[in-house]
Amino acid sequence: MSIMTKELRVALAGNANVGKSVIFNQLTGLNQVVGNWPGKTVERAEGTLHFKGYAIRIIDLPGIYSLSTFSIEEIVSRDYIAVEKPDIIVNVVDASALERNLYFTLQLLELEAPIVMALNQVDYAAKKGIRINTEKLSEILGVPVVPTVAITGSGINELLTTVIAVASGEKKLQPLKVKFGVEVEKRVKKLQELVQRRLPQLCEVYPARWVATKLLERDSDVAGKLKNYEGGTEALQLAGKLAAELEKLHGEPSPVILASERYSIASKIAKEVTIVEAPPRISLEQKLDAISTHKILGYPILIGAILAMFSLIFIGGSLFSGFLESFFGNIILHIGNALAFLPSTAQSLITEGVLGGIVAGITIALPYIVPFYIILALLEDSGYLPRAAFLMDNLMHKIGLHGKAFIPLILGYGCSVPACLSCRIMETQRERLLAAFVVTLIPCAARTVVILGLVGRFVGLHAALAIYIFDLILIFILGRIAFKVLPGEPVGLIMEMPPYKKPSFKGVLTKTWSRTKDFVYVAFPIIVAGSLAITALNITGFINYITAGAKPLISGWLGLPVEAGVPLIFGVLRKELALILLSQLIPLESLSALQMIVFALVIMVYIPCIATIAALIREFGWKKATAITITDITLALLLGGIAYRILLILMPS
Amino acid sequence: MFRNRRNAQRRGGSKNEGELYALTDLAEGEKGIMVKALGGFGLVRRLAEMGLTPGVEVKLLRKGSFGGPVEIEVRGVALALGRGVASRVLVKPSKDEHHD
Ligand SMILES: Nc1nc2c(ncn2[C@@H]2O[C@H](COP(=O)(O)OP(=O)(O)OP(=O)(O)O)[C@@H](O)[C@H]2O)c(=O)[nH]1
Ligand SMILES: [Mg+2]
Repeated sequence: MSIMTKELRVALAGNANVGKSVIFNQLTGLNQVVGNWPGKTVERAEGTLHFKGYAIRIIDLPGIYSLSTFSIEEIVSRDYIAVEKPDIIVNVVDASALERNLYFTLQLLELEAPIVMALNQVDYAAKKGIRINTEKLSEILGVPVVPTVAITGSGINELLTTVIAVASGEKKLQPLKVKFGVEVEKRVKKLQELVQRRLPQLCEVYPARWVATKLLERDSDVAGKLKNYEGGTEALQLAGKLAAELEKLHGEPSPVILASERYSIASKIAKEVTIVEAPPRISLEQKLDAISTHKILGYPILIGAILAMFSLIFIGGSLFSGFLESFFGNIILHIGNALAFLPSTAQSLITEGVLGGIVAGITIALPYIVPFYIILALLEDSGYLPRAAFLMDNLMHKIGLHGKAFIPLILGYGCSVPACLSCRIMETQRERLLAAFVVTLIPCAARTVVILGLVGRFVGLHAALAIYIFDLILIFILGRIAFKVLPGEPVGLIMEMPPYKKPSFKGVLTKTWSRTKDFVYVAFPIIVAGSLAITALNITGFINYITAGAKPLISGWLGLPVEAGVPLIFGVLRKELALILLSQLIPLESLSALQMIVFALVIMVYIPCIATIAALIREFGWKKATAITITDITLALLLGGIAYRILLILMPS
Repeated sequence: MFRNRRNAQRRGGSKNEGELYALTDLAEGEKGIMVKALGGFGLVRRLAEMGLTPGVEVKLLRKGSFGGPVEIEVRGVALALGRGVASRVLVKPSKDEHHD
């Protein structure tokens, strides 16, 4: 072996929800989102790993069902596989759904891509009574097949060794040549011959047979590539003619004919290598499935689950919050005494600004954030999200979306930024925008800190839950309005429903830990900076100018104490910062119940934080991002003032 | 726009061989053989890629309430299809169907 490290690019590709990201995390030690619903990975992720003198770049790709797709996250995968051509493609396959997974494998074979197959989830397949003869599968496909259980790491080392063996040429591939039925095959050959003859440059990039097949299935993307070549028109004409012949023969569009052909091959291979050991019994998972998607019972269960989630977070949060407050209150006091030798300005900058910020972050934000992350991880890993999407399909149609959009919505309760990105699972740009707009209105964990930490704690859980319910109603109304602004028939729902799985203790813990770590790294510097800034404004007296300027709006219109103005402005940075800063300016208990509710309401609706605005700009451009931001601010101020006036009548204090 | 598209002339019950039914006409637990999908190029292709190709056996697992989506099993995988989509998938009765 040479001393120089050799570089290798290895991409993980396969259907959605098969375990690509778990394998990626195992290989790289990174923390890509995993969970039990299709469409988590929406962008490609990379990580490096050193193994046997190789520097291996591992690329995690979004799930993909076919090489001719439209949805943007799928285009990411297709382009990477077909255009950037990694050295090896690890085709991750779900052993419990072999036939459907092989459909994609066949397309990789058609592309003549160098594949190693990771036959994943063999543990789950075994539970379903399915065993796969890996040697036979490997023999038929002509590529190595490594059985893996990604979640335990079993088989991962062997997978890596196999990848290296193939890359170094030690192990030779003899990939299966995909052969269609007579009628299709005849036409593919004819077209292939023309492509080879007339488009030699294109054939240096893509296999001629693949180009021919894609043209025959009327793939608009490949057809587009041809336009740049002389001879392209001729090929397109022949392809059109041949496809029309086939369509006449079968009475189906040509892509359906080719899909049928591939599926019949996939089905044959799957039958040959599958040994059904035991007929699947009605398991606990199936019973859970039946009841949680039940026509009637499903809905109270969904509502109950969400309410229980917030109640649990609240109970856990206020418990810890109280405990931590008394603990850190003492420490601060001691530090303050120890710093008595410093000039008083420096002293208050350190104790109030820096320490005050950190302590407030720990006592106000973390106690709610951590239980929240645990529950979200449980929801994500169990497989409940796609069920919720199923139940909500109908209602989502009323706001111009379909059920899948409910998934980013729920993720939005965690953090708006990944939720906005996950709107990419929607099929059209219009739906992505609608979904993202709705997502910005969902109270993220930071806003939950304000709602539970202020209203829940001092007014009562019922009031906090009422705010969440009000938010859902608001979203529905606004969603309907947005739907009117951006009209169009939503694309229908087509979504794989993964089986329920028991969330693994380790998985939930890792996810909670990595999110909490991110939160601390991202939020705490901002909290400390904000806290320092406000302390400085306070010491210098500048705060009075801002407060005076904002007074008509803050006190006059919203009925809040004047001090709330500056925290509300700083809330653009992070939503929980607003509460933290307010707590540093005035004791939270001094607010009336009414003021707490209005403050929480305004925070919930007004401006997505800067991180979200940045995500919106990246996804939709600054114009649409600005439009969403302005809508949210106006709405928050409007609602806050109206709520103040209505509540004044309803709850005279 | 046709939001509340109703498509429930017949729900389950015995079916005549040779006749075509919408997927949504199957009863929960009933099987059918996919014949064709009506609709745009994109939709039909997407369904085919997900395994819904002519001749394949599908089983209706459940129907959502209020014209909600249906869940089917095809090629060993469960799929959720919006009611509008499912009503455009035509099936014929499966031969080896057990009437119980
Ligand atoms: N039982 C079992 N579950 C697994 C295995 N590998 C992955 N899973 C679970 O399958 C689900 C999907 O895993 P991911 O790695 O997120 O899937 P993915 O292929 O990256 O999915 P997308 O990014 O949505 O395309 C998670 O809930 C995992 O815990 C396995 O070997 N056995
Ligand atoms: Mg993934």
